[in-house]
Amino acid sequence: MSDDLILGMAGSGGDGVVSAGESLLAAASSEGYHAMMTKSFGSQIRGGESSCRVRVSCRRILNPGGVLDVAVALNWEDFFRFGAELPLGSSTLVIHEEKAGPPPETPATRPLSRALIFSVPITEMAKKAAGTDKAKTSVVLGLVSGWLGIPKEALLRGLKKKFGGKGQGLFEANERALASGFEYAQTHPLAEPRVLSRPAAATGPKLLCDGNDMCAAGAIFSGVEFFGGYPITPSTEVMQILSRELLQHGGVVLQAEDEISGIGAALGASYAGRKSMTATSGPGMSLKTEILGLATIAELPLVILNVQRGGPSTGIPTKPEQADLFQAAFSAHGDVVRPVLAPTTVADTFSTTVEAFNLAERYQTPVIILSDQEIAQRKETVDLIDTSRFTLERRLVPTGAELDGYQRFRLTESGISPLSHPGMAGGNYLGAGIEHNEHGDPTASGAMHERMNEKRFKKLEPLKQRKDLFEVLGNGNAPYALVSWGSTAGVTREAFELARARGLDVKLFVPTLVYPVAEQVYQDFFASVRAGLVVELSYQGQLYRILRMFVDVPKGVIPFARSGANPFQPTEVLEKLTELTRAES
Amino acid sequence: MDLEAKPAPNRTPLQPKDYKSDLKPIWCPGCGDFGVLQALYRALSAIGREPHEIAFISGIGCSSRIPGYTTAYGFNSVHGRALPIAQGVKLARPELLVVVAGGDGDGFSIGGGHVAHAIRRNIDLTYLVMDNQVYGLTKGQLSPTAPKGLHTVTSPFGSLEEPINPLLYVLAYGAGFVAQATPADMPGMAALIEEALRYPGFSFVNIQSPCVTFGEEEQQLRAHKAKMKPLASLGHDAANQLAALDLARAYGKELYTGVFYRNPAPPPTYDALVQARQAELIKTRRPRERALDAYLQK
Repeated sequence: MSDDLILGMAGSGGDGVVSAGESLLAAASSEGYHAMMTKSFGSQIRGGESSCRVRVSCRRILNPGGVLDVAVALNWEDFFRFGAELPLGSSTLVIHEEKAGPPPETPATRPLSRALIFSVPITEMAKKAAGTDKAKTSVVLGLVSGWLGIPKEALLRGLKKKFGGKGQGLFEANERALASGFEYAQTHPLAEPRVLSRPAAATGPKLLCDGNDMCAAGAIFSGVEFFGGYPITPSTEVMQILSRELLQHGGVVLQAEDEISGIGAALGASYAGRKSMTATSGPGMSLKTEILGLATIAELPLVILNVQRGGPSTGIPTKPEQADLFQAAFSAHGDVVRPVLAPTTVADTFSTTVEAFNLAERYQTPVIILSDQEIAQRKETVDLIDTSRFTLERRLVPTGAELDGYQRFRLTESGISPLSHPGMAGGNYLGAGIEHNEHGDPTASGAMHERMNEKRFKKLEPLKQRKDLFEVLGNGNAPYALVSWGSTAGVTREAFELARARGLDVKLFVPTLVYPVAEQVYQDFFASVRAGLVVELSYQGQLYRILRMFVDVPKGVIPFARSGANPFQPTEVLEKLTELTRAES
Repeated sequence: MDLEAKPAPNRTPLQPKDYKSDLKPIWCPGCGDFGVLQALYRALSAIGREPHEIAFISGIGCSSRIPGYTTAYGFNSVHGRALPIAQGVKLARPELLVVVAGGDGDGFSIGGGHVAHAIRRNIDLTYLVMDNQVYGLTKGQLSPTAPKGLHTVTSPFGSLEEPINPLLYVLAYGAGFVAQATPADMPGMAALIEEALRYPGFSFVNIQSPCVTFGEEEQQLRAHKAKMKPLASLGHDAANQLAALDLARAYGKELYTGVFYRNPAPPPTYDALVQARQAELIKTRRPRERALDAYLQK
């Protein structure tokens, strides 16, 4: 028995590998398991290779996991295109299409055990049972059910949902294909059974969704009234969801002619007093940067989602990377600081989005949500959201008295000045990208520029004291540390637990606020630290480098960083940390 | 046309001076933009909307300073992006009167890509381009409407490219209201701006606004006065789109003033369609909370 199962599957575009993964995910979820699915494609629109990883567990899942427990290859060429995303090990159960032949001898397949390799005539069985090779993945689901004990009924319910609308015949054909796979597994038992334990008592209803769903939901919950954007992988789903929802509630979604116009319209709507948002990925972010500067100096609230992908330029648009942190923090002309928040799970993308809207409104500033492809497009079981812990903020508007001789950019103690909008009598002012005095009139005075810069920086200072924007776990005096952010935090959290279980005195730091750097919070955290790792998916190790700019990072804390599309595994983080502690002691 | 007409009931009629702010224009003495500003004050007072009900959006350039010289809500944004921002404003608050202004560089060079989309979207706003065929704020470089062969600091041997024809451009994309004006005819310009403001949909006025510092001799007010030809005097029918296109081809050669084209049956605007769809969806809509049903604990 095991209580955690990681299954990876790869095939050609038309094989339905991702769809089968979704069926498995839905079945596992309906049975009360925690489940998570990541999918990966070539960049082709149709065809090409596609793969998915499904992790099913009796425990809460922190990441998509490392070495596969079960690998399904419909053909090897496609399977190996996914390299490090589908790692094989000595206990990996391999199910491959008979026609594809045994796993070719490569460094990747070297650890495999012969006894765990099953050559199954999947296509033939599909043809025989369903009359079409399109039912291949239903055969695979049957095999998985038979060998791993995922209840057949739950999988059938999923198939019924999927094919029910397309005619009874289609459903029945797939039902027969699934049954034939199941039977095959029964008649070819594993030497050592691999049945997954049943989940513990029901943990309440769960959602199946991805980070982009959660971002859109968080925006709707926050009361977003306007969205302006332009399609770009992997953030487009947010615009699609809002296109469906916003008009129904009196809001507007504008699919603009380009990225610049998308953020321009969103900023215009914010100037007009509405809660406003745009979404994009790295290349779009570059185009939006000039208007980000305008939002900063005009002091207008705006939420910008950047779902990071592999870069630069087109890079690897369908895979995750965390290499837009420098861009989020520093891509600006002039002296600019703007909050950058990074969700670390599908679930916390909701709260991060609500936080982003609140910060934007409170501080009258653009706020960047820095998500990444893995979180944004990873589907998983998530608890229903308890909204009682949220309060929603709205920008400070001038009172009647303040409208008398209204000063839009009045220099206040907090740096925040009441903000009117067109339509509000008495609040008339000139919004501008040009430097201005308190009234809003253009100025080229160095003294005023200094004071306005001070205002725009000062208002964000309290953010750095917000302890709830940082997750700190472990013994406060621990000499060893793990620091991580974004989707990689999920891997690091598991490595942290493994290290603690191994008796290592380690602590964990995961910021939601990645910029501006909360110097004191880091300084306090690092006070006891002799050695540690900053784990992130970028070639340069961007968070590490930014921390070095602002914080006295202990010499023993080093980056553990590499390019996107090379996901970390909890065990490698653990090994790297262990190595570090050995060298250090 | 009586520009001071139509006061709102129970209210002192607004005068042109009510739209004038205390800010002193940075323009060179004699700049055509002063005339545009005066004409705009007159047109706005004729319409009679309160300054706080007006959003005046511009880009960057000499002419883009204009919102600050009015008492309306203004937004002097970034180069070339006035139209996207203005569209967001109008969609967010359709009840506002939205006016957009900028120069020929702002509208037809750096921001040229947005014009076509603003036109096809047909959001109800008025776009005033102060066309002076030169970059004034950066001191005399070649602009997108500058005539071929023009000698400037960036084309010291004469430019090698054809100018953009703003009139043909907007007509070709289907703009519902297209006019051209010059400060050489102040009453005419004020009337044209007012008519553009009243047009329900995207309206465009190309204003030949002389640059006294870097402009050519034939582009100055004196030359305008001598060569301008009111379209009305030519017997042009403003409802005739093909005739308008034909006349627009003479941009750069002839100085026609007046309305080139006014759609006699203006189609519904995008903002009106959005509001209609919102109203329709509201009948069957899921309340905001229900949109989140799937996500939230009860």
